[in-house]
Amino acid sequence: MSTSSGPARARSSWSLKDLVLLVVLGVVFGFLYWVFVQAWTGLSILMGPLGDLSQHLLAGTWLLVAPIAIAIVQRPFAGVIAEVLASVIEVVFLGSAVGPLLFIAAAIQGIGSELPFAATRYRSYGWMIYALSGLLGAGLVFFYSAFRSGWYGQDLFLTRLVIHLISGVVFGGLLAKVIVDALAKTGVVDNFAIGRARLGEDQCPLNRPCCSTA
Amino acid sequence: MTAAPPVWPLTAGGTLARRNPTVKLALLFVVSLVLVFIFDPVTPAALYLVALAAIGSSTRLAVKTMALGHVPFLAFGLGILVVNALSRPGRVLWEAGPLRVTVEGLSVGGSLALRTLVIGVLAIGFIVSTDGVALMGSLHQHARLGSRITYAVLAGYRMLQEMPREWQTIRQAHAVRAPLRPDGSLPGGLSAHGRAAYTLLVVSVRKGERMAQSLEARGLGLTPRTVWRKVPLLRADWLMAGAVILVLGGIAYLSHVLGFLEGYGALR
Repeated sequence: MSTSSGPARARSSWSLKDLVLLVVLGVVFGFLYWVFVQAWTGLSILMGPLGDLSQHLLAGTWLLVAPIAIAIVQRPFAGVIAEVLASVIEVVFLGSAVGPLLFIAAAIQGIGSELPFAATRYRSYGWMIYALSGLLGAGLVFFYSAFRSGWYGQDLFLTRLVIHLISGVVFGGLLAKVIVDALAKTGVVDNFAIGRARLGEDQCPLNRPCCSTA
Repeated sequence: MTAAPPVWPLTAGGTLARRNPTVKLALLFVVSLVLVFIFDPVTPAALYLVALAAIGSSTRLAVKTMALGHVPFLAFGLGILVVNALSRPGRVLWEAGPLRVTVEGLSVGGSLALRTLVIGVLAIGFIVSTDGVALMGSLHQHARLGSRITYAVLAGYRMLQEMPREWQTIRQAHAVRAPLRPDGSLPGGLSAHGRAAYTLLVVSVRKGERMAQSLEARGLGLTPRTVWRKVPLLRADWLMAGAVILVLGGIAYLSHVLGFLEGYGALR
């Protein structure tokens, strides 16, 4: 028998419910990425020599999990943690062609996606913020990937950047807003921060303690 | 496309399966990180051969499984090789219309493709020899991962294992109710998959909330916690780590002495 090392840390303000939600988002998107990566491999083979470019077309879908997590939980670092968890699921349990360096890419994506929300102190969730989030998430990670995959010095560098950014805005930003709004409408996230914001403190369902602000 | 279970066959035998998961993950990370700074084809080729031999002998993986596992990495690597060969300026090797293949493109592309294979074969070795539960337990014990996040990920891992079945159930439920097309076939394609993906998300979020409640009901989050089945961290693990780093450094050094090794400068 051994006890976990370290002193009994002061309870962080993260509730287990929020943490599990991030993991669940990571698992679902990890699984869906895995399904869609297969589709992408097919697409890249169909595109022949341009196959390598097809990854930029779908680049934005890799950003989805961060804005969704932030919008539901509405607290700092939610996006970064969710991205990293999703990448862990993908690398450790599903196998990825990039390997553990995906953790670093995921953290960079998460930071990029989170910046616009952080700038509004997690209060504003309009289309513009989502679009910016997708743009920054895709933009930041592009330069890291460019270094890792040796895109500098290729003729295609600018083409890559432009496709990548557009994909980031559309898939990593605007699509996230569509998904979040649809999720909120179903009511499954009413017990999270987004539900509190939507229903208001007083109409908290069942008046559970989980619904009070931490 | 119906998703086959993303679960790899776990090899119980083999020496690699007995090594500590945290050490294995750390080594995978270190090798990947070092490879990022290597841009010549010879060094990763040598590393690949050594890694293939090491993984093959230490996991006793069937040749067929190993070959099948290579397919996605090969496809990925081939794409990188082709696009680099065609799009990198340099000494022209072959030209036809707008297409031209350069020596530099082939060299850098080959290096990047082989890098993918090295990481690929190591990732295959890691996944088939590592049990997910043991990995999280080990990360909790040896990498100081907090217990709440550890158990949350473990619960998520269980969910992931059930997900292919869940996906199939959702697809079938949709198929039963779907209005048929005029020719009598089921609606397929992107929109049907998108609908299934959204359902999967909603169902999973709901399930996750129940999971969190049951975890909390079991007293998760109380410290200090005890661990029942400890994952061992033995001298053999440190020996393995030392051996991997020695081989990695040795090959890089040898490649440097022989004049093959090229760094980031190869891109210019």
